[in-house]
Amino acid sequence: MTNAGRLRSFMVACLVPGLAVYALFAIVPIVWSAYYGFFDWSGIGDPKFAGWRNYVSVIQEPLFWRALKNNIIVVFASILGQLPIALVLALLVNRNTWFFRAVRSAVFMPMVLSTVVVALIWKYIYHPQIGVLNYALKLIGLESWTMPWLSDPDINMYAVAMPIIWANIGPYLIIFISAIQNLPSEVDEAARLDGAVGLRKLVLVTLPMIWDTIKVTVIMCIAGSLKAFDLVFVMTHGGPAHTTELLATYMYNSTFAVYRYGYGSAISTLIVLVSAVLIVFSQLLMNRRSSS
Amino acid sequence: MKQLSAATAPSLPGRRRSPAKALAGSIRNVVLAVYSLLTLYPLYWLFVSAFKTNQEFFQHPYSLPLKPVLANITRAWELGHMGRAMVNSAIVSVIALALTLLLAALPAFVLSRYNFRLKGPILAFLLLGMLIPIHSTLVPLFIMLNRIGMLDTYGALILPYTAFELSISIFIISAYMSSIPKEIEEAALIDGMGYWGVLFRLMLPLAAPALATVAILAFLRYWNEFAFALVFINSQALKTLPLSLTIFSDGFGTDYGLTMAAMAVAVVPTIVVYLIFQEQIMKGMVAGAVKG
Repeated sequence: MTNAGRLRSFMVACLVPGLAVYALFAIVPIVWSAYYGFFDWSGIGDPKFAGWRNYVSVIQEPLFWRALKNNIIVVFASILGQLPIALVLALLVNRNTWFFRAVRSAVFMPMVLSTVVVALIWKYIYHPQIGVLNYALKLIGLESWTMPWLSDPDINMYAVAMPIIWANIGPYLIIFISAIQNLPSEVDEAARLDGAVGLRKLVLVTLPMIWDTIKVTVIMCIAGSLKAFDLVFVMTHGGPAHTTELLATYMYNSTFAVYRYGYGSAISTLIVLVSAVLIVFSQLLMNRRSSS
Repeated sequence: MKQLSAATAPSLPGRRRSPAKALAGSIRNVVLAVYSLLTLYPLYWLFVSAFKTNQEFFQHPYSLPLKPVLANITRAWELGHMGRAMVNSAIVSVIALALTLLLAALPAFVLSRYNFRLKGPILAFLLLGMLIPIHSTLVPLFIMLNRIGMLDTYGALILPYTAFELSISIFIISAYMSSIPKEIEEAALIDGMGYWGVLFRLMLPLAAPALATVAILAFLRYWNEFAFALVFINSQALKTLPLSLTIFSDGFGTDYGLTMAAMAVAVVPTIVVYLIFQEQIMKGMVAGAVKG
């Protein structure tokens, strides 16, 4: 074999196994789900062709839109909760002493916990009788604020969003810390000479200089919110009465509990479309940055 | 993180440290400490409650256990079949991990070292996998695995886990390999080592730090994964650790000490891994999040 031929077969042998597993189990399912969406199948027997019916009934289903709305609530809760907390913490811990490193480690810790554990812990925190939250409210004299956090339909979506915020601040904190540390030190000097200190420096110098980083983190919040499934599934199963349903739990509940695999495939495909729209939207946000 | 600012930091307080500044500093430290403790509090509560009887849990829900008991741990271990579940999680995680490292390292080497026509499309194809909302593959994967008779086997978890971890793993490893000077391998090739020899005896050992990062991240992901295990695994004998925890939330929800003990057992391995490898975990997770 020639040298070039040997290199060629080496490259093929390296690339093919990995790409094959990846294509088969990560990409092909997406294509299949669009196809299965055109069939009715209960798990036994042959699938029956159903045309557009599954897709149409998903879109006409109010629960689908409520799930989408709940997903958007999670997006906003992430952006308005995680980012400000992470930014404030990053401004406070941007040096490398042992104390600041310990704070960083503590804030990041929930990222490595199983979401099932996070969900169960928070279920207990919200527990109407024994939960820490109601207990703490009573302790500081706010007894009237105590409530069944996860069953009151007006607030339970926000209650569900809290653990998502709590568990995911870590990466944003790290990103903001390195963005702040990477600011050139001349800027710091210049700001001091011009008398920009404290809040003035923050608003006029630091924030504008890390604005690009903030945009990236907003996009991460949008992408991350679509991954929420385990937490809601374990905490509420999407209930009570579907009030905390997310797109992913809605897909699960209307597929595996009722054996409607065609319908579930149609929802899966729509989830892919929704996230494609959100990704395009985020890209537009990114591009505005480069043109301005 | 960056050492840059650490070098300049110590001179700052020494230069001019007014009482007001010192006060601001200590207020900041108190705020940070309180926030860190709040973050860690749910975990503390979990471990404290794991050693309490139900009676003590209700009498003193937030204190340290007065008479610590191990009964919860042993009962949780038996009732949840947690020994079995831990073995299952270990089997799935280790095999999937080995597969991930192999199937990611080979393409990563080719993609970092050679230019060829399909390189751009392959990279774009890999990026796609990081954008797919993972839960939208649950239904089609379920149908596919059912067709090929793989539902309810270890393989039903190992292959999808590997497939979804490949993109980020390939990106991390090939970024690291690009930083290794080309001269080393050119010399080895001239010495007649052959491509496979260069890859396995030279490049992989040199890329060990990147492989370690990939391994740690993948281990945490596989050990904690819930949705795929929930849908693809049915028989008790194959249930992984996160699945075994849901028994406690559904069936023993009122036996708080027991549930807390089960969770404590489940989180210990990940917390140990986190305490040892926190720098790599933080960097790796941030890299993964930014790319995605």
